[in-house]
Amino acid sequence: MDVPFDLLVNALVAGLLLGAFYAAVTIGVSISFGMLDIVNIAHPGFIILGSYIAYIVNSRLGIDPILASIVMAPAFYALGALVYQVYYASFERYGQEALRGLAFFFGLLFVTEVTLILVFGVDYRYVEAAYIGPSVQIGIIDLPLRMLVPCLVALTLIGALQLFLSRSFLGRAIMAVAQDQLALQLMAASPTRIKRVAFALSIATTAIAGALLIVIQPVEPSIGREYIGRVFAICVLGGLGSLPGALIGAFLLGIVESFTASLPWLGPSWAPAVAFGFLLITLAVRPAGLFGR
Amino acid sequence: MRTLTFFLICTAIGIGVFAAARLVDNDYLFFAGYVVLQYIVLATAWNILGGYTGYVNFGSAAFFALGAYATVFLHKALPLEISSLIVIDPLPIPVLIVIGAVISGFVGLGMGYLTLRLRGAFFAIATLALAVVLQTFITNWSFVGGARGAYVIRPNEIEPIGPYVQYLFLLMLALAVTALTVARFIERSRLGLGFAAIRDDELAAEASGVPTLKLKLIATTISGALMGMAGAPFPYYIGYLQPSSAFALDYAVNSIAMPMIGGTTSWVGPLIGAVLLGTLQQIATVTISSSVNLLIVGLLIVDCVIIAPTGILGLIEGRRTARDVVADPAVFALLFGINVIPIYFLHQEALTARPLEIIFWAVLIFLALARGRLIGQLWLITLPIVSAALSVVPGPPLQGLISILALVICLACGLLLRPREAATRSGTP
Repeated sequence: MDVPFDLLVNALVAGLLLGAFYAAVTIGVSISFGMLDIVNIAHPGFIILGSYIAYIVNSRLGIDPILASIVMAPAFYALGALVYQVYYASFERYGQEALRGLAFFFGLLFVTEVTLILVFGVDYRYVEAAYIGPSVQIGIIDLPLRMLVPCLVALTLIGALQLFLSRSFLGRAIMAVAQDQLALQLMAASPTRIKRVAFALSIATTAIAGALLIVIQPVEPSIGREYIGRVFAICVLGGLGSLPGALIGAFLLGIVESFTASLPWLGPSWAPAVAFGFLLITLAVRPAGLFGR
Repeated sequence: MRTLTFFLICTAIGIGVFAAARLVDNDYLFFAGYVVLQYIVLATAWNILGGYTGYVNFGSAAFFALGAYATVFLHKALPLEISSLIVIDPLPIPVLIVIGAVISGFVGLGMGYLTLRLRGAFFAIATLALAVVLQTFITNWSFVGGARGAYVIRPNEIEPIGPYVQYLFLLMLALAVTALTVARFIERSRLGLGFAAIRDDELAAEASGVPTLKLKLIATTISGALMGMAGAPFPYYIGYLQPSSAFALDYAVNSIAMPMIGGTTSWVGPLIGAVLLGTLQQIATVTISSSVNLLIVGLLIVDCVIIAPTGILGLIEGRRTARDVVADPAVFALLFGINVIPIYFLHQEALTARPLEIIFWAVLIFLALARGRLIGQLWLITLPIVSAALSVVPGPPLQGLISILALVICLACGLLLRPREAATRSGTP
């Protein structure tokens, strides 16, 4: 056990930074899958779409990718509303959402991915911004700005969403849909309308998550597949429908992956097994997740 | 005895297919046919758990890869000299298939035990996680090649048949016949009734004395074993096996998509889906590129789950559920708008894509026709025809225009789809 102390500290910090980013990626699924019971497998597909839009805006106009993504978020909101509308009209209205809805999103994921491949090719794309190169040194801790900026943006995003859900009227209505749809209907509110807002919101977060992704690493269309498992793992790990739970789940997964990658007797190639083994054990022992309702 | 009759008929058809393929005498036909047959086995296996029992398995690739890696392991380990007297010779492929089936069946049983308490999407996520864990183990196991992959040298000829690829084709044909017979047998037995009861309402089934636990374990085991069988000859087919090709997402996607497109309630569904999608993908691989495979699969999944809720089989039979679910025509229009954009890019990409496009649109026109007839709105057939016409408008200058036009159609349809309060139905009674 002669692992240097500063390696461990740096692994922990890297895990936390990575975790915050994972949380930003997961937050949308936490809303759509956790609260609305919509198994949106295509979520990573939308994230990659967000990355590419950030890339286009950045390379054509030279605007900061994260800023561009915030400007693009309303467009993603509209896209999300449209997707929910189709989903509702073809599956949910008939109570057939389980298997066919899943397949629908699965198909959507591949259509997005291959369309991006047909348009942009399979080359890795990256963005340019002032904070991508340098890093800050605090004592023995090494903080690359490339990770730190997305981490801060992600935490702000999650904080804002949590505030919206717990304080505003609409946010509380979304939480109410998650708890009991029938009761909401009895109070003369339309669950469909609220669910559309919530789902659109979850897609709007992918615009920002996509920009964070392309800041952290170069992106190519099929990279989204790596995130399908991860995103749902975090969502289940933290407990469905709880944003703080998702944040903690994301930190856990980030730290586990980072430690596995930096410990000399394991190495990066073991990281997925440890992370998903963790998920399997959680599912087998406590299916409701660590902080489930 | 009727299962036996079915088996004999299937075998006869299989022999016919093989004889016909021998007459053409083109090696490529056997290579392509092998893949289609492999998908028939995978789709049928998936359907036993996913279609009959209602548990979605995202980890088909894991079981397939287990079968393949069992073969690689034995290929590396044998011939083994335990002492000077006992020497274990390399095993023939049929034995390897049985070994693959046993190993994958056991893992399926284990997965069943591990995930017994999980339902719906959680089960699906657990299987996905299992696939990732297995892939990581294989990637780090250097004996079977690790991340670099392993070579399995395929002999050129085999005695009574001739070219080795024909032997592999014949084996896969036998496996497909076996898988279909098993599926049909299950469908018509008490076992199948139990599976259907679990799918429709697990709680009610449990309450009426269906041994749900035992049945689910049987389903995961059979499904896993069949997938392992499909994987066992794969190293010999491909010659060089690496984790990313054995665990490729294509297997997971296809084994879900094919039954969904064909119809999940009967053994015929996966067969239709596998032949249709498998052939389309083989054409796509030869004419354009393999990434377009997934585009075709993706579009067809999205189209089929909306236009054909009970699969192509349901549309042909005019099943009641398909008639009940009268989807909004606006959704259909939106769907065809979505279809136009990627196919348009595909059309610009290469001239070789033509046959693929024609088959694709033909399938869609058939779907729209069948569905339109069922719900009494035959005009639906104009939608795919207009979409097909839009997608072949020539020239890059119009590219942006067409995309915008398609998007406008999409948005207009989206606005037409405003929720109607009366139609809202919640899941709880």
